[in-house]
Amino acid sequence: MTMLARSALRTVRPLGAAARNAASRTATRSASTSSSTAEGTASSWKTNALPAGATLFAIGSVAWYYQMFGRNVDAMTPAEEGLHPTKYPWEHAKWYKTFDHASLRRGFQVYREVCASCHSLSRVPYRAAVGNFMTVDEAKALAEENEYDTEPNNEGEIEKRPGKLSDYLPSPYKNDEAARAANNGALPPDLSLMVKARHGGCDYIFSLLTGYPEEPPAGAVVQEGLNFNPYFPGTGIAMARVLYDDLVEYDDGTKATTSQMAKDVTEFLNWAAEPEMDDRKKMGWKVLAISSVLFALSVWVKRYKWAPIKSRKLVYTPPVQSKILTKLPQPPNKS
Amino acid sequence: MAGLASSIYNALFRRNTVMLGTVFASAFAMQLGFDTGSEKIWNSINQGRQWKDIKHKFMEQAEDDEE
Amino acid sequence: MAALASTTRTIARKWTPHALPLAAKATAAASVHQTRSISETHQTSSFDSPFKGAGAGTKIPSFAAYRNKSGGETGPRVFSYFMVGTMGALASLGAKNTVQDFLVNMSASADVLAQAKVEIDLSAIPEGKNVIIKWRGKPVFIRHRTDAEVQEAEDTKWESLRDPQSDSDRVKKPEWLIMLGVCTHLGCVPIGEAGDFGGWFCPCHGSHYDISGRIRKGPAPLNLEIPEYDFPEEGKVVIG
Repeated sequence: MTMLARSALRTVRPLGAAARNAASRTATRSASTSSSTAEGTASSWKTNALPAGATLFAIGSVAWYYQMFGRNVDAMTPAEEGLHPTKYPWEHAKWYKTFDHASLRRGFQVYREVCASCHSLSRVPYRAAVGNFMTVDEAKALAEENEYDTEPNNEGEIEKRPGKLSDYLPSPYKNDEAARAANNGALPPDLSLMVKARHGGCDYIFSLLTGYPEEPPAGAVVQEGLNFNPYFPGTGIAMARVLYDDLVEYDDGTKATTSQMAKDVTEFLNWAAEPEMDDRKKMGWKVLAISSVLFALSVWVKRYKWAPIKSRKLVYTPPVQSKILTKLPQPPNKS
Repeated sequence: MAGLASSIYNALFRRNTVMLGTVFASAFAMQLGFDTGSEKIWNSINQGRQWKDIKHKFMEQAEDDEE
Repeated sequence: MAALASTTRTIARKWTPHALPLAAKATAAASVHQTRSISETHQTSSFDSPFKGAGAGTKIPSFAAYRNKSGGETGPRVFSYFMVGTMGALASLGAKNTVQDFLVNMSASADVLAQAKVEIDLSAIPEGKNVIIKWRGKPVFIRHRTDAEVQEAEDTKWESLRDPQSDSDRVKKPEWLIMLGVCTHLGCVPIGEAGDFGGWFCPCHGSHYDISGRIRKGPAPLNLEIPEYDFPEEGKVVIG
């Protein structure tokens, strides 16, 4: 034990000495640089060379790293990647805007009359439509159009009952295999979260729905059973163009053009993926408002608390020194 | 002015417990006021977009159908 | 005694440098450095402080512009209390809402709440019939009681029963008896229109319930439970 402690001491002592040595050296150097200017310029060139070199080295290594690993590497050809969708100025995508619920209502109509024959929307219950784009009675009536399984009865048999508000929208096919079998092996994806699940979101879906050309461009290879759509990765999509002018009849009198229907159904699908968006945006603004006021107040309080500390004066008055000898009793003067 | 300030001080801030009560009471009031105010602003920004702005059309329609 | 002390002192003196030769060297070196550095600084200039600009002397700025000019103390004091109080109020508002959001998060979600209510059409149930429906995973008995059964349920001397409860406490409309079909003993589902009292009989351990669902005989301690229900319109009941 003592051996260990002693060896530790041995190592510590010389280190301390070295530190002291270095400190004294820097002190002398700073004193000397301030005194002579010629020496000062020479040493400043030397001191700048090191940081300048280090900076050059850093920039160089970043550049080297970027050209090695930073550039985009595309594994796919542009055709396989698909055309990037056009950016559209979605009104509901603005930070301070809710969904246009009239548009949601139209979009749901388009979904029900057009998309629902192949695509499911399995995460959306009827109750979600209430208070967003349907009245309670409309939603109940719609739910009752479909039949759902009951829980097992006394004999263990599962019966059918009309739908309720708590039921989810019915799927067009019993399962994925049935969907594939009915669609040439291609599975129509569930649309509940489609806006979140694809790059480009709303822009992609709108571009895809409206982007079918009259006929594929010259030289494009379109496989049997597929359709050409430049926005679809690989350009060959099993879904044919479905939206044509006046395909549905809107109950609010809006003209059902292809792009109007595509816009409505896209906004509806965005609602299906993010039904909380309206509340989320409103809550976000409220949080921002409260916390910015709180921040300003806390800056003020900080200044208030620091004011006496920052503006105080410290004055040191040394005590009056008196020699202790004068206080000693003096020997009587003999003379 | 000074009289008002000192009466406010004496009434609300002088005792710590009273000050705490004032703070919590005003927090409650602020919550109410802020919620109403922000709701109003939000609704005016999104005029005509929300369900409550358009539902009267469909409610009336449903009633008409029943008649 | 004095001799002993002096010997230990000499031993100590001899031992220290001997035992720690490196340490001794280090101190010696340090002292040499110190003396040298002092002499060097003496040579170059009169060096006092290592901080730049310290020699010029610190100028203390004037704070007169920031002074309270109104003279009174009350105004600024009320203002500063107001600012601090406002910050406290806003902070407590934020804290309250944060806590509330976390607590609300723990309550039942919308899909559970949507299934928590069951609406039943009563016109399909004839008088004197039992209907069992599922509500929140549990069976619910709905009995359309005849007048004789209502009379029987009301005439029973309920004060002396195991779980005393009058029939009027157990129903909202006397002809409709709605209760959870879970035996209060160990959770079996009783059989309707059976048992010694014309009500329900639990096949598991032989508990007998009367036509008001009250325990009359057997091991069960309590009457059959009544769920929350409501008649929003004629011929309809909403359970939950």
